[in-house]
Amino acid sequence: METLADTSWDLIIAGTGLAESLLALALSRSGKKVLHVDKNPYYGGTEAAFSLDEAQQWMDGVNRRPGQSPFEDVRIVTSHDAHDPSQTDRPKLSPSRSYTLSLSPYSLYTRSQLISTLISSKVYRQLDFMAVGSWWIYASEEDDTLTGAARVLQRVPGNREDVFADTRISMKSKRSLMRFLRHISKPADEEDLAPEAEDLSMPFEEYLASKFSVPADLHNPLHSLSLSQLSQPETSASYAVPRVQRHLASIGALGPGFGAVISKYGGGSEILQVACRASAVGGAVYALDTGIQSVEDSDAEEHPVKVQLSTGESVQTRSVVGAIWDLPSQKPIESSGIRVARSITIVSAIFESLFPVTVEGAPVPASAVLMFPGSTLGSPNSPPVYLQVHSSDTGDCPRQQSIIYGSVAQPGPAGQSLLESAVARLLQPEGPKAAVLWSLRYSQLGRLSNGHIPPTLSEHSPHVHSFLPPNLDLAFEDETVSLVKEAWQKIMGDEARSDEFMIFDDRDGASDD
Amino acid sequence: MSEAASANPPKPSSSVKLVLLGEAAVGKSSLVLRFVNDDFQENKEPTIGAAFLTQKCSLPTRTIKFEIWDTAGQERFASLAPMYYRNAQAALVVYDVTKPSSLTKAKHWVAELQRQASPGIVIALVGNKLDLTNDGGDVSEASTAPEADSGSTGAEGDAGAGEEGEEQDATPGDARKVSRREASSYAQEEGLLFFETSAKTGTNVVDVFTAIANAIPESSLKTGRGAGAGTGQTQLSGRSADDSRVNLGDRNAATAKEGCAC
Repeated sequence: METLADTSWDLIIAGTGLAESLLALALSRSGKKVLHVDKNPYYGGTEAAFSLDEAQQWMDGVNRRPGQSPFEDVRIVTSHDAHDPSQTDRPKLSPSRSYTLSLSPYSLYTRSQLISTLISSKVYRQLDFMAVGSWWIYASEEDDTLTGAARVLQRVPGNREDVFADTRISMKSKRSLMRFLRHISKPADEEDLAPEAEDLSMPFEEYLASKFSVPADLHNPLHSLSLSQLSQPETSASYAVPRVQRHLASIGALGPGFGAVISKYGGGSEILQVACRASAVGGAVYALDTGIQSVEDSDAEEHPVKVQLSTGESVQTRSVVGAIWDLPSQKPIESSGIRVARSITIVSAIFESLFPVTVEGAPVPASAVLMFPGSTLGSPNSPPVYLQVHSSDTGDCPRQQSIIYGSVAQPGPAGQSLLESAVARLLQPEGPKAAVLWSLRYSQLGRLSNGHIPPTLSEHSPHVHSFLPPNLDLAFEDETVSLVKEAWQKIMGDEARSDEFMIFDDRDGASDD
Repeated sequence: MSEAASANPPKPSSSVKLVLLGEAAVGKSSLVLRFVNDDFQENKEPTIGAAFLTQKCSLPTRTIKFEIWDTAGQERFASLAPMYYRNAQAALVVYDVTKPSSLTKAKHWVAELQRQASPGIVIALVGNKLDLTNDGGDVSEASTAPEADSGSTGAEGDAGAGEEGEEQDATPGDARKVSRREASSYAQEEGLLFFETSAKTGTNVVDVFTAIANAIPESSLKTGRGAGAGTGQTQLSGRSADDSRVNLGDRNAATAKEGCAC
């Protein structure tokens, strides 16, 4: 192939985020002529992963073109000690490429549709997954009246055995907690009260207190299992209950002792690249550094859409599907969006105690989830701060270091200051050698899945559709897979057989024999 | 545990991700076809779509399973390579011994790999289409004894690479335009493995892959992927026999008990 214009395409996919890449994967055995482009010189779009140098370039690009991506106020803070060669006893940053810093570090529950899709499409063979182990709640010292010791991080009981073993919970509290856990673990048909009849519109804390008399000191731990980034009064039971259910039901599904995984080498960014590779093997053509400048419907019957590429080439296609940021004339997403503050912090500490193996035969976790309630950061009305700590086992950083991914649903300097205090509180007990070596801070505009209305594709014209921007939830939300299936059905038309979506045989030689 | 005790332990097996790079039409796909199927297709059409193939290579102490990623047919857009060499443990950079511009392109790829790929990546520089040169006639001699071939002997003195090439050009039937010495000294400077091959006759093809397999450090083999790995890996497949592995077959059978909090 000499030029892209030589081919009349069935589909042009714009952007290489997870949704776009999964669509490419879904079509990889369809025989369709697919051109997959990305305006950036790297894969992943708003879900990419970077080395230190690439992160710097990314920051420069985002700040140079405000409003062209969901990111704002990007800045990098480096520790002087980590660069100063005269400070020989201080921990140092490793070379740029020793790091894989992900804009998509989300956890993936083992029962999520994405896991099923990766398995049925056989691309899981190219991925390595690591366990997300324990959930922790930060409790300020003065709160801890039970033991009197400076036990600052408390492990959230993740299952029945944990609850029984937990010495900090009173018998009375255990009974009410058990009632709640039993209630949400029951299959729907065994339930005397059908779930649809249950009123979930109230805040989750009220639901726990009024229906199960779960005492207030257990609300934060349960809140953390839902991964809700909103404050307690703002978190509805309709959001939290299905997510706590998901948490409990996922534990053990792929092996003992864990309910969620992360993909090694950059989280979501690695998954989407594996999807693109599978699509390329199926014949899709890939062009990075190639954006879409304009899209124009013509009268041509077979390939009615004329697409002007940033490379100057003009190509004809039947249809176009893309990320909202990768198609021209994007509608602003301000109205429905929220902003979160995020940070990616490289620290010289390994936090061994955060990654216990809690069940015999379980893998050593490579990630832990920490929740800092606003009150413990001196800001009682703030939403909680979540830190996802990745050990070097994730391949994201060198040994003796860790990466901390922080997120709080409060943008701007206020949010960044909460993130900073949370990281500082985590580091403080680790001793003088534990320091922040480097951090990337930014605000991100997006949406949180609210669980009410399932999102759909946006139609720009009968032949041009866009995915919603990726959501900002801390665990992968299955709605992305549903959106991909919707797009796949549009492209395949009558050929789409729902039960064949993403079901592929191994290609020759690719099995594990 | 019981498995390990029951039988002679099989040789440990590791997957190695290998990316194939080089200008269009230097014979990348043909090299892989020879290695994987021991086959060659004359006048092969340019590869459409990118290929993924696997082949095992047995070493005395372990088995290496190569996962070979071929950018075939999409070289012009240079967009598959970055995704392919991400976390790759080995790269095979191919040029055509009858086409000097293809060596220039190969050098660009080597520079990009050194700049962007995993720091420990093993790179092999391979000059293909040896059958079109006079060296290609004798398969076994040319393959194993680089010092004995005409290119090297003619170049013992101060003759530069260019002159040597011209000299060989004059030989009837010899289409060589890139001297072995030029490519080999470049490979030495850059710390690359170096081979001249013929996918058509099979000369040196298996040797390239065996040399790569031997050059991959044990430390990066243990975990099946690039550096920095540890013991906590959970796998959806049985890539390596390891206590932390998760078998797909276990997925649905797995204990709902633990997840049930009742």
